[in-house]
Amino acid sequence: MNRISDANKPIVIASVFVLVILLLGTGYTLATQGTMPLFQPKYLLQQLQTGAFLGICAAGMMMVILLGHIDLSIPWTLTAAAMMASTIGGPWAIPTALAVGLLVGLFNGLGVAYLRIPSMIFTLGVDTVLRGLMVAHTGGFSPKDEATPLMLYLAKGTLLGIPVAIFVWAAVSVVIAGILAKTGFGRSVYATGTREGAAYLSGIRTRRVIIGAFVTSSLCAAIAGVLLAGYSAKAYQGMGNAFLLPSIAAVVLGGTHILGGRGRYVGTLVGVILIVLLNSVLSIMQMPEAYRQIIYGAVIIGMLLVYGRNARITS
Amino acid sequence: MTKMTPHVALNGVSKYFAGIRALENVDFACNRGTVHAILGENGAGKSTLIKIMAGVLEPSSGEMRLDGTKVEFLSPSQATAAGIVCIFQELSLIPDLTVADNIMIERPPRRFGLIDRRAQRARAEELLARIRCEDVDPDGLVRDLSLSRRQMVEIAKAIGKKPSVLILDEATSALTSRDVQTVYDLLGDLKKENVASLFISHRMHEVDALCDTLSVFRNGMHIETFAKGERTEKEIVRLMIGRDVEAQFPPKPPRKETKPLLEVKNLEWENRLKGIDLNIGEGEILGLGGLDGQGQKELLLALFGVLRGVTGEVKFGGKPGLPGSPAAAKKAETRVALIPEDRKTEGLMLSMPIADNLLAASFADISTGPFIDPQKARTAIKRGIETLQIKSGSTSDAVSTLSGGNQQKVVIAKWLLVSPSVILMNDPTRGIDVGTKQEIYRLMRQLADDGKAILFYSSDYAELIGCSDRVSVLYDGRVVRELEGDDINEESIVSASLNIGERAA
Repeated sequence: MNRISDANKPIVIASVFVLVILLLGTGYTLATQGTMPLFQPKYLLQQLQTGAFLGICAAGMMMVILLGHIDLSIPWTLTAAAMMASTIGGPWAIPTALAVGLLVGLFNGLGVAYLRIPSMIFTLGVDTVLRGLMVAHTGGFSPKDEATPLMLYLAKGTLLGIPVAIFVWAAVSVVIAGILAKTGFGRSVYATGTREGAAYLSGIRTRRVIIGAFVTSSLCAAIAGVLLAGYSAKAYQGMGNAFLLPSIAAVVLGGTHILGGRGRYVGTLVGVILIVLLNSVLSIMQMPEAYRQIIYGAVIIGMLLVYGRNARITS
Repeated sequence: MTKMTPHVALNGVSKYFAGIRALENVDFACNRGTVHAILGENGAGKSTLIKIMAGVLEPSSGEMRLDGTKVEFLSPSQATAAGIVCIFQELSLIPDLTVADNIMIERPPRRFGLIDRRAQRARAEELLARIRCEDVDPDGLVRDLSLSRRQMVEIAKAIGKKPSVLILDEATSALTSRDVQTVYDLLGDLKKENVASLFISHRMHEVDALCDTLSVFRNGMHIETFAKGERTEKEIVRLMIGRDVEAQFPPKPPRKETKPLLEVKNLEWENRLKGIDLNIGEGEILGLGGLDGQGQKELLLALFGVLRGVTGEVKFGGKPGLPGSPAAAKKAETRVALIPEDRKTEGLMLSMPIADNLLAASFADISTGPFIDPQKARTAIKRGIETLQIKSGSTSDAVSTLSGGNQQKVVIAKWLLVSPSVILMNDPTRGIDVGTKQEIYRLMRQLADDGKAILFYSSDYAELIGCSDRVSVLYDGRVVRELEGDDINEESIVSASLNIGERAA
């Protein structure tokens, strides 16, 4: 009973905070404009649509953080996938993006699992290399190629009145949550993240687990890149930069332990929604950018202080 | 002050770790100008004793007197200030600092508040010369020294503190023979300088050659102190073993020749395994004896596919070759399982649920495609819990909520779910209660009766005697003695462990 509340406590706290943000934001809009956009389905769906990019990145990031590692190559994996997709174009655009994700993930995984280079350094290096490759590829300008119709549809289309991007996010979520809860690979991720030595001595192929997690992370970044390129109609330099820190923050706010081993996917979902809503409330308030950053950072630190005080089971 | 006040005296000192007795009501004294050996089996309380003297541990009760004055050390530096200096088994040097820095680390010579490098170097040279290590460069990094040289630097560091009591805990085990001689000479000099040396060693001939007083410890109690020559080696071994209430062991079936399941010939690894030969048949329990750290752990890890660069001939079920990894070991034709030494870091994912820990080795067996089959998972968990009679509330509780004995049962159950033919166990009953120990003994015999081969190391001699069909005693990476039938007794195991030959047995 204790354990369950321990695992879910961050999720509950984050959910409560989501409600607090909604109420405060609505209080503000009622007082200033007499409307409550935060409770209009249309507005919320629009927020979730833009949240899908972050949500998909965070889903992949969570796999890596559960291992106690981190993937700092997400920004340029996302950008590279988007750029290569729009360069190739046609029906092969999306498979190309996924192939880029797969390659980067394999490379990250091999570096961390076999060369034993700390993931923070290795993925940072990979991110920089990818940036260089993309600048070389495009000459440093925004590529002229347009996103394909399918990419546009996935990012901006609607199905049954709901943005398709939300369906994509939901599909990715179902897959990740399924992997984590229902497959041997998922359980091995938790085991390896909790104690790699014990997992290895249990006959878990820990290196394959590490590679698998990094591949998942890069694939998610590639999918987010496809969507974002579709949303903006084209790929552009630095399009992934805004997703790295928020995706880590969403995972950790959702209760996943930054040192690995513990965390539930639902938490990451709540974490993403929290960050998206916080951002949109701050922009409704027309808060100057400087204060937005301060509040945003303070919220993350404050929430982690709250969690950090209860969750320390590691011996 | 009647006769002579001993330099260091412990009166009624006890130490408990989480309720478990490590030392009980120990009275111990040592005098200046002596070399005093402390003898005892693994876990007899020797290390706890010296840690209390050196200020690393505080006694749970009792007092310590230095020249008759009561002292209480809250830290090793206080003990050092009082003149008690310890050279620990685990090296305390910092690899990335120079030899001179390390030797003077606690109190470097200063000039204007800054470290006086020249004086530090000179002092380090002087100390190194004293232990005939002129070849060690005081400005070189400790990282670049061999293990033996490092140990010598450690000794130089200790003498640099000008101790009145010098404690050497297995300090000679890593030394080359030349350095060992230097240490002998040094102890002789220190004796003349009226220093009390306390010497812990498992090498009987060293104790014989060096020490003038011997104290035997057993089960956390000080058994006896006597002068050298008062007792024969045989008597000393008896004192070390003593008579204690033993656990009950299941009866051993009569020995019969069976098909060999595991054959090992001339197994070598780095300088820890130096040519191990052994074989185990179906239904046999082979015990590994010897003191801690004679290669038992490495042998088990090598057979489980963990170590790289192992050479020698190994056959599992007649098929040559070692597994390449634990994952390969558990899937091979002759499946191998290892119950590791430290269940908290190697055996279990402590913060994960009991269920996940039970299934950790058998995800492949309970999955359909990539997905875990919940039905199969439930059956497996139930089977594991029933076979081992694990007492737990809900299997979704973290395994850390279980008692030590039940945690160990989870580790064993996890491996039995894989249905291994060869089971390697590294001290499977360490730190668990007597009741669970007996359950594990019964289980081991039952597994053997089912045709499995068990190779286990235990630091508890009684356990080796009670459980094993045969015992191989390891010393310095080799099997020095194979015991069978009635030859398996405490005297023969202890004397083989100390490598003092048949004469003492």
